[in-house]
Amino acid sequence: MTSPTAQVREQGADPRGTPGHPVRGINHMAFPTFDPAGTIHFYRDVLGLPLVQTMQVKAWGPEYQRDFVHFFFDIGNADCLAFFYYFGQESYTDENLPPLLDLGRHVALHVDTLEDLDGLQKRIEDAGLKLDMRVMHETVESIYVRDPNNILIEIARPLRELTAADAVDAEVTAQALLDVLASDGEPTLDALWARKAELITSRARAAQGER
Amino acid sequence: MTTLYFLDAAEFTDVSAVAAAQPGARVERLPGYVAVTSDGPIVVDRRATGVRHAVWYSALAAVGDGRVVQYDKDALKVEPIL
Repeated sequence: MTSPTAQVREQGADPRGTPGHPVRGINHMAFPTFDPAGTIHFYRDVLGLPLVQTMQVKAWGPEYQRDFVHFFFDIGNADCLAFFYYFGQESYTDENLPPLLDLGRHVALHVDTLEDLDGLQKRIEDAGLKLDMRVMHETVESIYVRDPNNILIEIARPLRELTAADAVDAEVTAQALLDVLASDGEPTLDALWARKAELITSRARAAQGER
Repeated sequence: MTTLYFLDAAEFTDVSAVAAAQPGARVERLPGYVAVTSDGPIVVDRRATGVRHAVWYSALAAVGDGRVVQYDKDALKVEPIL
């Protein structure tokens, strides 16, 4: 069965999902930092993202709370990347995080053009920092760099616009994954490919029947 | 008989075209997908497609009645499930 979201998308709505729900991007994503000087230098001075709000807060609430500074960098569209610096909080690093999970957990910033991406790469390299990598993905080209908090920052520019077909495929893939996870068999990519084929053919038959 | 499905998107066109060029392959356009069907195994040479690695390894959207026996930097090979 086609989900309401997919139906909206198939009708030619913006595949980024502007209609149909009230969410408009990220208000802010927040992370703790143990290096506020490095963090402010990296985001404000290297990437050129201005500070747009800070709060200095006396500890209140739970007993483990500490006095802190909360600061926000503008990342476009009125969205923000935010950090907490807790006075007196001992630094913590998750040494046991498997590399795959470390790579999977990252922040991707959006730029519109190749010139914008090249410009940010130059700013990073001119600051003496090294890119982790530059990759042409399926629909975006990305550069990757570690911030002073070891957060993997991706900066991506679109290679093409997303289409209604992308949105439908996302729905079909997600349904195939849910079906595979709910089945008795082992969840594998092979199982997902097979279930997805069944869903694609049943959708195609249903579309023929509607004509 | 096995069927490979590719998302009908620009970056995957060269992959589905190489698969479809295989002797005996039949091509069908479904809503959002290109389906390539063959009675025998389907082999796609990565270098013949000319696509970059990130595209190559995400090109296969679905597999009907087939078993992927090779999917690496050299080729994608899918055999029919008899």
